[in-house]
Amino acid sequence: MNNGTKQPKRSDEPIWWALFSAGGVCFAVVIPGSLLSLAVLYPLGLISAEMLSYERVHHMVFEAFFGLGGLAFVGAAICLPLFHAVHRIHHGLHDLQWAHGPVAKVICYGAAILLSAIALGLWFF
Amino acid sequence: MTQTIVIARYNPEQDEKPHHEAYQVQSDDNTSVLDALQQVQQQDPGLSFRWSCRMAICGSCGVMVNGVPKLGCQTFLRDYPAGLVITPLSNFAVEKDLIVNMEPFLEHLSAIKPWLINTAEGTQPHVQTPKQLAKYQQFANCINCGLCYSACPQFGLNPEFRGPAALALAHRYNLDSRDQGKAQRMPELNAKNGVWTCTFVGFCSEVCPKKVDPAAAINQGKVESAKDMIVSVLKPSGAR
Repeated sequence: MNNGTKQPKRSDEPIWWALFSAGGVCFAVVIPGSLLSLAVLYPLGLISAEMLSYERVHHMVFEAFFGLGGLAFVGAAICLPLFHAVHRIHHGLHDLQWAHGPVAKVICYGAAILLSAIALGLWFF
Repeated sequence: MTQTIVIARYNPEQDEKPHHEAYQVQSDDNTSVLDALQQVQQQDPGLSFRWSCRMAICGSCGVMVNGVPKLGCQTFLRDYPAGLVITPLSNFAVEKDLIVNMEPFLEHLSAIKPWLINTAEGTQPHVQTPKQLAKYQQFANCINCGLCYSACPQFGLNPEFRGPAALALAHRYNLDSRDQGKAQRMPELNAKNGVWTCTFVGFCSEVCPKKVDPAAAINQGKVESAKDMIVSVLKPSGAR
C-alpha cells in the first residue's frame, strides 16, 4: 500500500508524447497537403510550373518571413512526423516485447534527432 | 432449451494447471451467464465464482466470456448461439476456478487516493453547480469490477501500471470542484507507471459495463501531466 511518503519519479514521456502529438497533426494535415500539391496536382499540370519555379520556391523557403517559411516546412513535414513515427515504433517494440528499455529508446529517438538535424542542416546551409 | 457452456476449472490443491469442462444448462432468453453458473453450481457444488447483486452494480461477477471481459449478470446466453467459454478475468492470478486475486488492483486503486481530499473546516455543504458536476460525472460511475484491467494489454505486460480504473478515478477526483487533492495525486499520474504506460488501445472503454471511458480519462490525464511537467520546469523551487 502506498502511504504517500514515497513519491515515484517523474517520467520524461511528456516530452516524447508532445512531439508525437504535434507530429500526428503534421502527418494528418501537412503531409497529405504536400503530397497532394507536389506529387499529384503538380505532375498532372493542375498547378502551373510557374508556381513552383526555382525563384518562387527559393523566395518562400529562404527569404520570406526571414526564411522562417522553410524552417516551418522542414519542421512540419520532416522533423515532427519523424518523432511521431519513432514514438510509434518505440511503443510497438515494447508491445511486441521485441525491445524495451533505454537502448531502444536511445536508438528510436536518437534516429529522429539525427535525421531532424540533417534536414535542418540542409535547410540552414 | 439446453445449451452447453465450457468453464475453466482450477483447484490449486488438486490440479497442476487449469482445465476446461463442459456443462449442460437450461436456458431461455432471460438466462444470464451468472444464472448459468449458478445452475452449474447445483450440479457441481465445488464450482467457485464471485457474485452479489445480480444487477451490474456490485462489480463482483466479472469473467471472460469467449475471451472478452464481461459481467456475468449483464451477459446473456441468447447472444452466444455458437456456445461460450467462461474463464477467469485475464491479467490476474487465479485462486480457484473463476475467482482471481484482485489485490493488485486494489493496491493501484488506493495509491491514487480515490476520495475527496478537502481540508476546509465547517459544517456548510460544498455547493456544486450542474456544470461543475458534469465535468467529472461520467468518470464517477466506476464500480471497481476490474474488467478494464483484464482488457488492458499494457497492464498484462506491466502489472505495475496503475491501470484504467485507478487512473480514471484519479481524474474524476482531480476534476471535482470540491477536491483539493490534485497535487497529492499528480506524482502518481506523472510516473512511468501512471498515465504514461497507456498507449490508448481503448479496449478498457469498450468493455466498461458503466461506460466510464477510462481511455479518455487517462488521455486527459496525459494532458494534465504534461502541463504539470511544464509548470514544474518553470517553477523556481521545482517542488513538484
